[in-house]
Amino acid sequence: MLLALALAAASLAPTPVRAARALLQLFVTEPYLNLHTGPGRGYPVTQVVGRGESVDVLFRRTDWLKVRTERGIVGWASAADLSHAVMADGTPFHLSLGDRNGFRSHRWETGLFAGAYAGATLISAYTALSLTDNLKLEVDLSQYLGNASDGYLADVGLAHVFRPDWRISPFVTLGAGMERVEPKAAFTQPVERSDQLAYVGGGARIYLTRRFFLRGEYRTDVVLTRTNRNEVNPEWRLGFAFFY
Amino acid sequence: METRIRLLLLSVAAAVACGGCAARAPARATATRGTPVSATRADTGANADAGVDAGADQADAAPPVIIQPQVQRRTITVPKIRSENVELGAYYGELSIQDFGTEPVVGVRLDYHVTEGFFFEASAGRANGGKTSYELLSGGVQLLSDAERRFTYYNLSLGYNLLPGEIFIGREHAMTSALYAIGGIGSVKFAGQQNFTVNFGAGFRVLPTDWLALHLDVQDLVFRSNVFSVYRLTNNLQATLGASVFF
Repeated sequence: MLLALALAAASLAPTPVRAARALLQLFVTEPYLNLHTGPGRGYPVTQVVGRGESVDVLFRRTDWLKVRTERGIVGWASAADLSHAVMADGTPFHLSLGDRNGFRSHRWETGLFAGAYAGATLISAYTALSLTDNLKLEVDLSQYLGNASDGYLADVGLAHVFRPDWRISPFVTLGAGMERVEPKAAFTQPVERSDQLAYVGGGARIYLTRRFFLRGEYRTDVVLTRTNRNEVNPEWRLGFAFFY
Repeated sequence: METRIRLLLLSVAAAVACGGCAARAPARATATRGTPVSATRADTGANADAGVDAGADQADAAPPVIIQPQVQRRTITVPKIRSENVELGAYYGELSIQDFGTEPVVGVRLDYHVTEGFFFEASAGRANGGKTSYELLSGGVQLLSDAERRFTYYNLSLGYNLLPGEIFIGREHAMTSALYAIGGIGSVKFAGQQNFTVNFGAGFRVLPTDWLALHLDVQDLVFRSNVFSVYRLTNNLQATLGASVFF
């Protein structure tokens, strides 16, 4: 009964009017703009927007924009096709596209690696924030799976890219983090432990296509153990990354 | 006589003209007490009439005031374009754990669509392994504890939309879809061991709306295992149905 009353009250309560979200309006300056039925080059073109007409941008998916024309027709336009469009005040429209310029200068990048850490198989993922085109703040999370022990690595570091405009772009990296070691039960004294580590390394970033690049690097990890000797572990890794 | 009359008329005309000058002088005095702008204009007119530069001196002393617009400059904010490249969802299906039967599996996935073709996917799942044939036949033998039978994994994969397309329902509705191939690396924890895993497979994604995606996936998780004290490659096939939302 209470539930029914609550439902009735909810249905009678005035629904708040949501403010319409402001949409970016773009004017076509090319002879025409193709509208596809889906966000991909293979989807058929079913509508065309003429020069001087405008479209409202609803949202973006990868390098495609879902737009609505003045006549209310909805379709997908390629961001590259809209690169010559202008805004209402005549300002040229600019959208970050996946190309060499984007590889040189971008805000974020993320990648996946496979590699080796002290002889164990390494799986790693990283994200980097570009402080400048040359300097990046990186966060890595890794897991390694070895015969004697498994473990995790988490570290934060800085990478300096010497020439971000080069297609094959070398860099050096320096950072610190934590290592968690889980010795396998088959060996004696399977005591899990966590240690601090610091690393120094270098490698290269190789631009592939669109938003993708290859990244390979070598590091030397110094694990600050609680015993008298620190461990020095070599680390290789190679993987795909993308920028955005 | 005629000359005298002409002189008289000229004298009257001159007197009238001088009277006109005298009559305008108060008007100028009145105008200078008005607004600065109108006073300047009155001075200029008087100077033209009188041919003196007293008004010009006054104009130098009080320069013309530039009208200050009382309009506030508007700051125009360009609306941002909302990006929907991330896909978050869950799936449910069956996982065939080699030697340990086929069991239900649940998992979550997080995708980032980089281009119209490529996407990255991170997924994690869990299943509980069943009993081996030996355990079933022998009766009370337990090779693994319940905790050890838990099969948990994660995969970091790269996918490619091989066959993008559309599905039509009736005359009015069309949904975008894609058949994709996916492969990657990850880790499986099973029988008290962590194992490096390679995964590969294919899937079909259909989008009933712009923000909702339905998935049908088949993947193989391959890793080397020594559950039976001998290292050997195991294939663990899973088929799942899932749903995810774009944001």
